This record gives sequence, structure tokens and C-alpha cells, in this order.
Amino acid sequence: MNEPFIPWYIAGPLIGLMVPALLIVREKQFGLSSSYRTLLSRIFKKIPYFNYDYRQDNFQIQLVIGIFLAGLMAHFLLPQNSPETVSNYGKIATQIYSFENGWFFLFSGILVGFGARYANGCTAGHCIMGMSQFSVASLVSTICFFIGGLISSHYLIPVFFE
Amino acid sequence: MRTLLTITIGFLFGWILIGTEAYSWYRIQEMFHFESFHMYGVLGSAIATGALALFLIKKFNLKSMNGNPIVVKPKPIQLKANVIGGITFGVGWGLSGACSAPVFILAGKEWAIGGFLLLGVLIGVLLFGIFENKLPK
Repeated sequence: MNEPFIPWYIAGPLIGLMVPALLIVREKQFGLSSSYRTLLSRIFKKIPYFNYDYRQDNFQIQLVIGIFLAGLMAHFLLPQNSPETVSNYGKIATQIYSFENGWFFLFSGILVGFGARYANGCTAGHCIMGMSQFSVASLVSTICFFIGGLISSHYLIPVFFE
Repeated sequence: MRTLLTITIGFLFGWILIGTEAYSWYRIQEMFHFESFHMYGVLGSAIATGALALFLIKKFNLKSMNGNPIVVKPKPIQLKANVIGGITFGVGWGLSGACSAPVFILAGKEWAIGGFLLLGVLIGVLLFGIFENKLPK
């Protein structure tokens, strides 16, 4: 199995630096799932959850623009993900990022969005920012993220890709 | 200025996730099957670095760029929400292999499915917004 271009002991600490970087530059706590709330708050003003002062989350829109641009650049610079270069999960789904799986990603995306906002955070907000603060809510959420992921990757993926 | 800096931080963050393949469906499957230490190393060292940075900020009373004191608030404990929402998110994460940031990477990088994934997440957040008051916290 190939090792990624950036090893974990370089990538991990750099990701961790997101925490002080955003505090120093924007006085904001690292988190990304509320970026979706902010995006929707421009459209669905009649729903109380989206009717808030979204300017406080403007920094998240800017962050995800940057993340999207990185992905867009990678689209032109890097080959599309092919299983033989990455791992043995090619056996389960030969080309996971193909158009026929669009419905599968739409469905799992709904769970990601709903769950992240319900839990009040995702991998960034709970797992990294929250755990860095030793927050109990984030510890509970992170454990539940893993319980859910273990269930779906072991028992649901085989159902979808028999 | 701060806007440009924030977009740059996002751009660099995106490239780190791409370079270390943390956005990849295959890496996430590998993690949930305990077949590689890679993703645990990434997450573990990110948390350790974040915790160290917060400790240093507190110890030396570091100020923000605008000269304000840095205040960090813990997220409130909402046990039912953390558990039910957390498991729901986890199931979605294990299926799609993507959490919030990778969704935007895939939207840019993998055009065949990225739009579906992003649309799905937005629908999920919209559904949460609609039913927010009726859900146990």
C-alpha cells in the first residue's frame, strides 16, 4: 500500500496549527460544519435556525473557499483517485468516485450534514478543536463518530457494494 | 487583509488534507478497519499540537492580531445531541469517507460525485434546521 505524499507526523501537527492560527487571525475557534449553516442562512431566513447574525461565521465561508480552491487545483494537477494507487479497498468498490455512485454520496452526505449540526460539530470542531480543550462534549461526540463509522464501514459498505 | 489570510489558511489546510490523503475514501475505510496507523497519527498529533498551542496561548497570554485577548469557550454538553448526532455523522463519515472539509475538497477535485456530496450535506443541514426544535438535546 502506498504511503501518502505527506506523512502523518508532518500533516497532523500542521492541521493542529489551524487552532492557534484561527484564534490569532480571527479570534475564532476552529470548526467547519457551521460553514454549511452559514451558507444556508443566506437563503432560508424564515427558518429560525438559519435566522441568525451570520456575519459571525463569515470566516468559515472564507476558509471553505480556500479548501475548495485547493481541491480545484488538485483536480488539474493530480490524477483522480484510483484504488490501485491507494489501497486494497479497490476490491470493494473499484472506482468509488464515479458518477454512478452519485446517489450514494448524496445519501451519505445527508447523514454527514444532519449529524454534524445535531452533534454541534464535526471532525474539526469536536475531534480536533474540542479534544484540544479536553471538552467532555467533544470526547463523547468523537467516540460516537467512531462508533458510527465502524458500523457503516464494516456493515453498510458491503451492503452498498456487494 | 484578514479575509485574504483566512482564504490562504483554508487553501493550505486543503492542500495538507490532499497531500496526506485524509480526504480520501480509501484512507477513511483503512482507518475504520484498523489497517493503518496513518489517520490515527494525523488526528492524534493534530489534537496534541492544538492542545499545546492552547496551553501556550494561555500561559503567555497571547493576543490576537487585533490586539484582543484570546478567549476559548468549550462546547456545551448536550448528551443526547452529541450521541445521536455523533453516531449519525459517523455513519455518514464511514460511508462517504468525507467529513466537512473533505466535502469541499471533493467538490473541487472529484467532479463526478463532489456536487452530489455537497448537495447531500446541505440537504442534511437544512433538515436539521427544520427539525431542530423537535429533536431531543
